[in-house]
Amino acid sequence: MIMKTTSERNKQTTLFIGPQHPGITGNMMVKLLVEGDTVVRAETHIGYLHRAFEKLIEQRNWLQSFTLLCRFCVPEPDPMELTYARAVEAIEGREVPPRAKYIRTIVAELARIQSFLLWYGGQAGSAGLYTLGQWTVGDRNYILDLFEDLTGARIYHMYIWPGGVRRDLPKGWADKTRRVLDYLEKRLDDYNRLLFDNAVFQKRAQGVGIIPKDKALEWGVTGPPLKGTGIGNDVRKDEPYCAYGELDFDIPVYEGGDVWARALVRRDEIKQSIRIIRQALDKMPGGSYYNRIPNPMKWRLPAGEAWVKTESVRGEIGFYVVSDGTEKPRRVHLRGAAYTHGISVLEKILPGQNIADVSFILNSLGACPPEMER
Amino acid sequence: MTTQDIIRALNETFELKAEVLHGNQIRVSMHKKQVAPVLLYLKNQWGFIHLDHVSCVDWIEENVFELVYIVYRPQDQLTVLVKTKIHREHPEMENMEGFWPHMRTYQREIREMFGIEFPGFEAPREFILEGWEEIPPMRRDFDTRGYVKRTYTTRPGREDAWSVREYITRRTGEKLPDFARKYSRD
Repeated sequence: MIMKTTSERNKQTTLFIGPQHPGITGNMMVKLLVEGDTVVRAETHIGYLHRAFEKLIEQRNWLQSFTLLCRFCVPEPDPMELTYARAVEAIEGREVPPRAKYIRTIVAELARIQSFLLWYGGQAGSAGLYTLGQWTVGDRNYILDLFEDLTGARIYHMYIWPGGVRRDLPKGWADKTRRVLDYLEKRLDDYNRLLFDNAVFQKRAQGVGIIPKDKALEWGVTGPPLKGTGIGNDVRKDEPYCAYGELDFDIPVYEGGDVWARALVRRDEIKQSIRIIRQALDKMPGGSYYNRIPNPMKWRLPAGEAWVKTESVRGEIGFYVVSDGTEKPRRVHLRGAAYTHGISVLEKILPGQNIADVSFILNSLGACPPEMER
Repeated sequence: MTTQDIIRALNETFELKAEVLHGNQIRVSMHKKQVAPVLLYLKNQWGFIHLDHVSCVDWIEENVFELVYIVYRPQDQLTVLVKTKIHREHPEMENMEGFWPHMRTYQREIREMFGIEFPGFEAPREFILEGWEEIPPMRRDFDTRGYVKRTYTTRPGREDAWSVREYITRRTGEKLPDFARKYSRD
């Protein structure tokens, strides 16, 4: 953190939070103009983690892109794979077997839970409550174990492919998943006691970082920040994909638009994810898990374009994919939730807030720098 | 509201040829001067208040950039892809930062990555890149491999790009089996 006095009267100071700061949500920087403890103006600066993924993808074939795609956002690799795979399928018109749709749903919801557990750590940690993060990151490992059993990898899975998924559920995996869900469900009460019953968190979160309900949609707010303003838009309900249309679940909605409301939404979303996975396991159809694609090195998609969205933990993820009829994508362009939340929305809601709340608000918005600059 | 209602409204009001792209998605192409009025019309008249995405595709063979504005109507999940093509020489597009707050972010990225100018757009030029002096990197004629060769050096000791497996065999004198050699870089 570097401080630089900008005004002759020393009233206003420029303050840099990040790119290396324990309160920042990755490699980004928020440049603040502050007066006393109050933020007057905020600017998001990115570019510390640009890896030119979208450019590199144009030089790889349709399947090789997956090794880069899942790295668009570290806490949430699976929605990237899922969205891109669906976009490729939309261009080609490839059908996905019902079993693969259910497996994809389970993977997407497990990915949501593990990402929510990481968020718990960041949100609580930015309020000075460090114990919860130790617990949730420890519990997250049980989900990563499930991923390892299923895909062979803990974080970056490259498991959801065009046409289905890479392999079927291993023997005993469904039972192990049910046991993990039972355990996590009991742990949610412990998390509640540690975070939501904590007076420090209540006082820090309520009335802070408010997104106005009447502006939320126009500002491009999606996911928990949108549901925290009282608007229950969710791609899984609005435009059902995978098996979501056949499963019963609710969209948690809270009023207020503040950090508290966003946290409550996320807390309830975990319960809904557990509910969805249990149903998907119970209703899992038989049959094939993969509608095999041709030789990937010679696989050409017809010329065309697709715009596909999925609901991630942080909000809507969309891929605009263009094919020119060759074996490589012409354009793959990600619209991540953080692209609006971490830049234009953050810059709008930070003025008037306390300096100490900046990273607290940032965590509540789910800003993910690698997703912003790809 | 259905896709057909929107298609009819766009075709009659602006004399366009809107069509269904996929499900609830509509695709419509137009001259670049029509983009701003169409986007405002969709936003103010039809409730497409959510700007989902702005993208750019370089069709270098046709000497054009294609800009795609994707807007969304939440009430009935309708999406419209508003598309236009602009020449690659002196590419300019109307500045629409006042339409949606995050349009500013998209315009900054497109200006930096494709070199498309938005007259009157005063946001800082540097967004993701720093001190960039090459042609905009997302253009198809940007030589990624050449840039990497010019810009980065090989880490000392890695000049010959030995495979780890071969490096160990050279160091230890261990014989590399044929099936392993098959995958070596040589």
